[in-house]
Amino acid sequence: MKISVITFLIAIFPSLLLAQTIVSGTVSDNNGIPIVGANVYLEGTYDGSTSDEIGKFSFKTSETGTQTLTVSYVSFEATKITEDVSKMQQLKIQLREDVNSLETVTISAGSFSAGDNSKISVLKPLDIVTTASALGDFVGALQTLPGTTTVAEDGRLFVRGGDAGETQIFIDGIRVFTPYSPTTNNVPTRGRYSPFLFDGITFSTGGYSAEYGQALSSVLLLNTIDEPTQEKTDISIMSVGGGLGHTKKWEKSSLSVNATYINLAPYIALLPDRNDWEKPFETASGEAVFRQKIGGGLLKVYGAFDTSNFELTQEDVNQPEGTRFKLNNQNFYTNASYSEMLNNDWSIFGGGSYTYAKTNVGIDEADIKDVENSAHFKVKLKKRFSNRFKLNFGAEQFVTDFNENYDDSNFSAKLGFNNNISAAFTEADIIFSRELALKVGVRGEYSEQFKEFTVSPRVSFAYKTGKSSQLSLAYGDFFQQPDSDVLKFTNKLEAQQTQHYIMNYQYSANNRIFRAEIYKKQYNNLVTYNDEFPDVNTAFLNNGDGYAQGLDLFWRDNNSLKNIDYWLSYSYLDTERKYRNYPIEATPSFANTHNFSAVAKYWINDWKSQIGFSYQYGSGRTYTDLNKPGFLQSKTKSYNSVSLNWAYLISQQKILYVSVNNVFAFKNVNGYQYANAPDVNGNFARRELLPAADQFFFVGFFWTISDDGTDNQLDNL
Amino acid sequence: MQNVVTYFAIFFTALFMQAQTDNAASADATPTKYQQGMQKAFQLWQEEKPWDAANMFERIATAEPDNWLPPYYVAQINVINSFAEKDKTKLTAQLDKAQDFINDATAISKNNPDLLVLQAQLYTAWIIFDGQQYGMTYSPKASELYSKALAIAPDNPRVILSKAEWDMGSAKYFGQSIEPYCKEIQRAIDLFATFKPAGEFYPTYGEERAKQVQMESCN
Repeated sequence: MKISVITFLIAIFPSLLLAQTIVSGTVSDNNGIPIVGANVYLEGTYDGSTSDEIGKFSFKTSETGTQTLTVSYVSFEATKITEDVSKMQQLKIQLREDVNSLETVTISAGSFSAGDNSKISVLKPLDIVTTASALGDFVGALQTLPGTTTVAEDGRLFVRGGDAGETQIFIDGIRVFTPYSPTTNNVPTRGRYSPFLFDGITFSTGGYSAEYGQALSSVLLLNTIDEPTQEKTDISIMSVGGGLGHTKKWEKSSLSVNATYINLAPYIALLPDRNDWEKPFETASGEAVFRQKIGGGLLKVYGAFDTSNFELTQEDVNQPEGTRFKLNNQNFYTNASYSEMLNNDWSIFGGGSYTYAKTNVGIDEADIKDVENSAHFKVKLKKRFSNRFKLNFGAEQFVTDFNENYDDSNFSAKLGFNNNISAAFTEADIIFSRELALKVGVRGEYSEQFKEFTVSPRVSFAYKTGKSSQLSLAYGDFFQQPDSDVLKFTNKLEAQQTQHYIMNYQYSANNRIFRAEIYKKQYNNLVTYNDEFPDVNTAFLNNGDGYAQGLDLFWRDNNSLKNIDYWLSYSYLDTERKYRNYPIEATPSFANTHNFSAVAKYWINDWKSQIGFSYQYGSGRTYTDLNKPGFLQSKTKSYNSVSLNWAYLISQQKILYVSVNNVFAFKNVNGYQYANAPDVNGNFARRELLPAADQFFFVGFFWTISDDGTDNQLDNL
Repeated sequence: MQNVVTYFAIFFTALFMQAQTDNAASADATPTKYQQGMQKAFQLWQEEKPWDAANMFERIATAEPDNWLPPYYVAQINVINSFAEKDKTKLTAQLDKAQDFINDATAISKNNPDLLVLQAQLYTAWIIFDGQQYGMTYSPKASELYSKALAIAPDNPRVILSKAEWDMGSAKYFGQSIEPYCKEIQRAIDLFATFKPAGEFYPTYGEERAKQVQMESCN
C-alpha cells in the first residue's frame, strides 16, 4: 500500500520529486500602494520574477535551505530577506523610499547652486560665462541673483546689507585669501580665477554649514573639475589681450595650464575714459591644475600667479591737479587637496592653501608696501551611517602674517600682525523621510590674537509641502575677525558677530524655478572708532551693531518661450548699522532698498548664434550731503544698465564673441565726493563719482584645437 | 549654443534593437542555466517587455559575477528607454541605474569598446533631455569615448558606425562635408557582412542602423 501512496503523490505533485518550492508574495511601498515591476529573486541563483500590476510575484525554485531573497526597484531601497526557502510564501514586502533620489527634500534656505548634479541648481555652469553683463567674471554672474546689491564701481559681492569683506570664497573647500584683482576707486574689480576651471558653484547668502567660518554674511564655494574631458589647446585673441591654454591627460592624471595677458592701453587709446592713465592696466597671469588619482583617492593641486600694474591720475575735488595713484601687485595662490573614500562608508578630505600677496601702492607722495602671507589647513572626515544619517566633522587652522610699510615725506611707519585662528566643526545630516530633513551643526573657533573662543550653532530644516514645492528654515551664528585695515593697528578686540534667521519657499517643476526667501540678520560687536581714518593712535571698540532684513525673489523659466531662457531677480533690503566712525545708526552707502535683474538668452538656430541680454536696476544709494544736516541722509539717483552680447559659432571650434555693457549709455552716479572745507559762501563743493567709462566694448575670437574637433571655448566666455 | 548639442543628439534617438535571435541557435543540446536565462531575457525583450528583461538580466548578473554581458544589457535597456523619457525623476533613476551597471561591467571587462560606446550613449541620453544643461559637460566626454573605442577596436563595425553618426551630426550642422563619415559608414556596412561576435550573447546590433543612416544621409 505504501508504494501506491508514494506513486499517487508523485503522480499528483511531480514537482515534489524535483523538490521545487514556490516563493510568493506582494511588494508595496510604505503606504501599501503596490509596486509594479520590482525585481524579486534569490541571490546567486537564476530564480526570480517581476512583480505584476497588483504587486504580486510568484516563482518556482529548486533551491533549498536558507537563501537570501532580494527585492529591488528603482528609487526604492533594496530589501533582503534571509530565511528558509520553504517559509518564503505569501510574503508581504514593503520597500522604503530611497532618500537619495531626486524627489527627496533638500535644504535650500540661503543657498544657490550652479552645477549639473545639484538638485537645487538655479544656475547652470554655462550661465556663469554667458550672462551678458558678467564679461566672463564668475562674480559678475552671481550679481544677477537676489540677495546681492548693485555696487557697480566695486565689482565685489555685497550680500544682504553686508560689506564685501563679509563674503568669503573657497576653492575646493579651502579658503582664498585674496580673491579679487587689485583696482582703484571707481574701477570695478574682477575675480582672479578663470571660471572654466570650476564645474560646481554654490553661493550661499546666509545660514550656511558649520564647515565654513570667518564670514559674517555669505560664502561662495567653487569646486574645480575632477577630470578634464579631453586633451585640447585653447587660443583666445581679445580686444584687450590674449590667452593660451592647454590640457594634457594621462592614464591617471591630467594637467591644465593657462596663461593670459591683458593690456588696456590700446583700448584706452581708442576710447579714452575719465581717468588720466599714465600706464593703463596691465596684467599677466598663469594658472595650472594638476590632478592625480591615487588608488581610490584624488589629489588636486592648483596654483595661480598673477602680476598687475597701472598708474593714473584721478579727479579729486580737493586737489585741482588730481590724485596720482600707482599700483603694482604680485599674487601667488596655491591649493592642494586630497580626498578618498575609505572603508565602512568613511571618507576623508585634507587640504591646504598658501597665499603670497605683495602690493605696492603710491598715492601722491605716499608709498605703501603690503606683504601678506596666509595659509589655511583643513581636515574633514565623513561617516555615512545610512542614507538617512550622515556625520561630518573636522578641524582647520588659518594663519595670516601681514606687514605694511608706510612712507611719505614726513611720516613713516611699520605695521603688521599675526592672526592665527583654530577651528573645529561637526555637523549631522538627518533625513527622516523624503518629506523632512534636518541639518544640525556647531562650530568652535579660537583666536590666538584676541585670546577669544567663540561657539556658533547652525541649524537648518526642510519640509516638502507638495510634489514640487518645499519650505526651508535656517538659523545660525557667525563670527568674523575685523579685516587687516583694523588689525594692523590693534589686537584688543573681539570677533564681530551676526545671527541669521531665514525662511525659504521653493517651487521647481518643468524647467521653472520660483524661490522666495525672507530673512533677518542681526549684527553685534561691529568694530567702531572715532577718527576719520584709523591710525596707530585710534581707539577701537566692539561697540557697533545693526540689522538687515528683507525679501528675495527669484524666477527662472526655460520652458515657456521657445529658445529663450530667462531669469528675474528682485531683492528688497532694509538695513541700518552703526560701525566704523558712524555717528549714528544709518544705511551704509553700499546698501540700497530695491535691486532688480533680468537676464535672458536667446538661441537663433539659423544664425548659429546666442544673443544675451541683461538689465540691472538698483535704487539710489546713500551718501552724506555736507550741505545739509545729517549723516548718510541723501540718496543718489537709481542705477540702470542694459548689456548685450552675441556669440557666433563660426565653426565647431571657432567662436566670435562681441559684448557691450550699458548699451544705452545711462549716466550712472555712484556717489559724491565733497570738499574738505567750505567755500566763501559756506557751501561744500562736490564732485560726482562716475564710472571710469559709461560703456565697455569687448570683442574676442576663441579657437579650440582638439583631436576630435568638437569641443570649443563657449564655457570660457 | 546648447541647442547645437541638442541637435547633435537628435541623431541618436534612433533605438538600437537587439538582433539576438541568431545567438540562440548556437546553443547546444543541453543549454546551461546561463544560456536558458539569457535566452529567456532576450525573449522577454523581443516580446516588448524590456523591464522584465532588465530584471532577468539583473538576476543573471548577480549569479554570474564574472560575466560583463548581463550588466551590459541591464544598462543598455535603461539607456535605450531613457532616450524618450521626459520625467527627470524617472530619467535620473534609470540613468543612475544604467551607470551602476556600466561600472560593474567595466570592472569585469576593462577597455571594452562596447561598454565605451554604451557609456557615450548614456551621456547622449542626458544631452537629449537637456542639451543646455548637460551638453557642454557630456558632449566632449562622449566624443572622447568614441575616439577611445575606435582606437581600441579600429575594425569593429558598431564602433565605426556610432562614432561616424556622432561626428556626422555636428558636421551637418556646420555645413561641413559629411563625405568622410559616409565612407566610414560604408566601411562599417562592409565589416558587418563578415562580423562575428566574439562569443555567445555578445552584442551584434548595428547593421540595420548603418544601412538606414546611409540611405538617409549618404547618396
